[in-house]
Amino acid sequence: MSKLARNKVWAALLLLVPSFIIIFGVFVLPMLYMLMISVREDGGTGAWTAAQYKLFFQDPYYIEVLWRTVRLSLWTVLACLILGYPVAMYMARATPKMRGFITFLILSPHLISVVIRNFGWVVILSDNGFINNTLLKLGLIDKPLRLLYNELGVVIGLTDSLIVYMVLAVATSLYAVDASLYKAAGILGASKARMFFSVTLPLSMPGIFAGTTLVFSLAMSAFVTPALMGGTSVKVMPVIAYEKMMAAYDWSLGAALAFLLLGSTLGLVAFFTKLVETKRHKEVFSS
Amino acid sequence: MMRESGRFRLTPLGLITFFVVLMVISPLLIIVPTSFTSTGVLRFPPEGFSLQWYIKIFDRPEFVDSFWFSLKLAVLAAVIATLFGTLAALALHKYRPPGSGAINALLLSPLTVPSLIIGISALLFFTRIGLAGTFTGLLLSHILISVPYVVRLVLTGLSSFDYTLERAAAILGAHPIRTFWDITLPVIRPAIFSGMVFAFLTSFDNVTVSLFLISPSTTTLPMAIFNYMQESLTPLVASISSIMILLSLIFIFILERVYGLDRLFGSNSHSH
Repeated sequence: MSKLARNKVWAALLLLVPSFIIIFGVFVLPMLYMLMISVREDGGTGAWTAAQYKLFFQDPYYIEVLWRTVRLSLWTVLACLILGYPVAMYMARATPKMRGFITFLILSPHLISVVIRNFGWVVILSDNGFINNTLLKLGLIDKPLRLLYNELGVVIGLTDSLIVYMVLAVATSLYAVDASLYKAAGILGASKARMFFSVTLPLSMPGIFAGTTLVFSLAMSAFVTPALMGGTSVKVMPVIAYEKMMAAYDWSLGAALAFLLLGSTLGLVAFFTKLVETKRHKEVFSS
Repeated sequence: MMRESGRFRLTPLGLITFFVVLMVISPLLIIVPTSFTSTGVLRFPPEGFSLQWYIKIFDRPEFVDSFWFSLKLAVLAAVIATLFGTLAALALHKYRPPGSGAINALLLSPLTVPSLIIGISALLFFTRIGLAGTFTGLLLSHILISVPYVVRLVLTGLSSFDYTLERAAAILGAHPIRTFWDITLPVIRPAIFSGMVFAFLTSFDNVTVSLFLISPSTTTLPMAIFNYMQESLTPLVASISSIMILLSLIFIFILERVYGLDRLFGSNSHSH
């Protein structure tokens, strides 16, 4: 290596040192330390043990919590897809100016604390909230609908905060679709439904895939929304991890729960990826 | 089918888009009028008009104190994260050290792990080294979650920068610092500035990491609201939230003007 090249490497390292210190000291080392605490006795220094993980899988309560977390995340993905896909289609057909405007409108609430957005939902959805009041006044219902402090409330809250990822992921893939494809399909006499199923949908699959994995991962680890909009009855993995850490002070179990949450999310995303790939593989090689 | 339209059109797609946009902004639209109620009931539409719930904020020192605390924390975290992140981005882009790809992935890695897990691991580790519950610990963790955004934004800002300009300046005898100040900095200034504003908002809004690292004397405003909300729901939450919304809106408009929100969000970013 020439002297000049060596100098460049040293200069780069020097500039990288402050960020490296932060990443290693506040992220990499703490993660390794947490792993130690979850698999060794006496706060990470004693004998190796899988007790915390065994405890989790042998207790039906924890299995139910994990399943509830997965289920709510899947409902959220579905809601984001059903509501977000048409928005992405609308954006793909709009002028750049209109696209920018819609992007701004759905992105800007995202930069305001989730605590505040959830509070707004409480005002809208509670028993004497905006929706129930309106419906009662109109005489459409005679007792308030239960829209909050249950699983429905959590899915509404999560969909509100995560739909932006689905919209942008799908819209990005639709922007790339060559407009002449639609013209060709039109000339060949394809109906609107046929165009959607033969052109739009297949070409937006990468966007749907990206949006789905992103929304799912974020929903799995959401803490604030289940805590504020789910009440005490909707316990999900992040909420019980918090309780074990901060109320029960069971740090070994808290650390194990953190890894189980991370592991189950990554595992399910990998499984989904595999599923999609296998399907694509079959499509390509069997037709 | 692909005819572009500038005006909003009342098609089925347009209706759904309108509904979704309404859904994401309505929680915020409803909070502000609710805060001006003259009654003690949290209700939309509100009854009467008064500023009493704004005046009552001052009766609750925990909100006033945590507001100033959050502001101090977010400004410090943003300034330090911007400095560190900008240096790292320059190192990667200008010197292209061996393993740039891996270094870049490492710098962005805190974004790939849920912030809840970052919070738990930081609590465990900080307890071991004596930083749990301290301002330093909280600040360090907020710097960590902001640095990746700064790195990404500054790298994007640098992507079109032409280093022949720097070389030309050097040939003409300019000192490297002078070159950086007069040539490089003006080009990436919008990206650096946006990174700083984004880092500020990341810290100012954060709950999931702070949750594990605050102590009674170091509580952030979102945490104070979160805790208060679990016990009582009064219009007081609405008045405090309205102030936070106003403050965030100012920053959002600055970001939109300087950089553009759509450019700010890549395919991966999360704040929960």
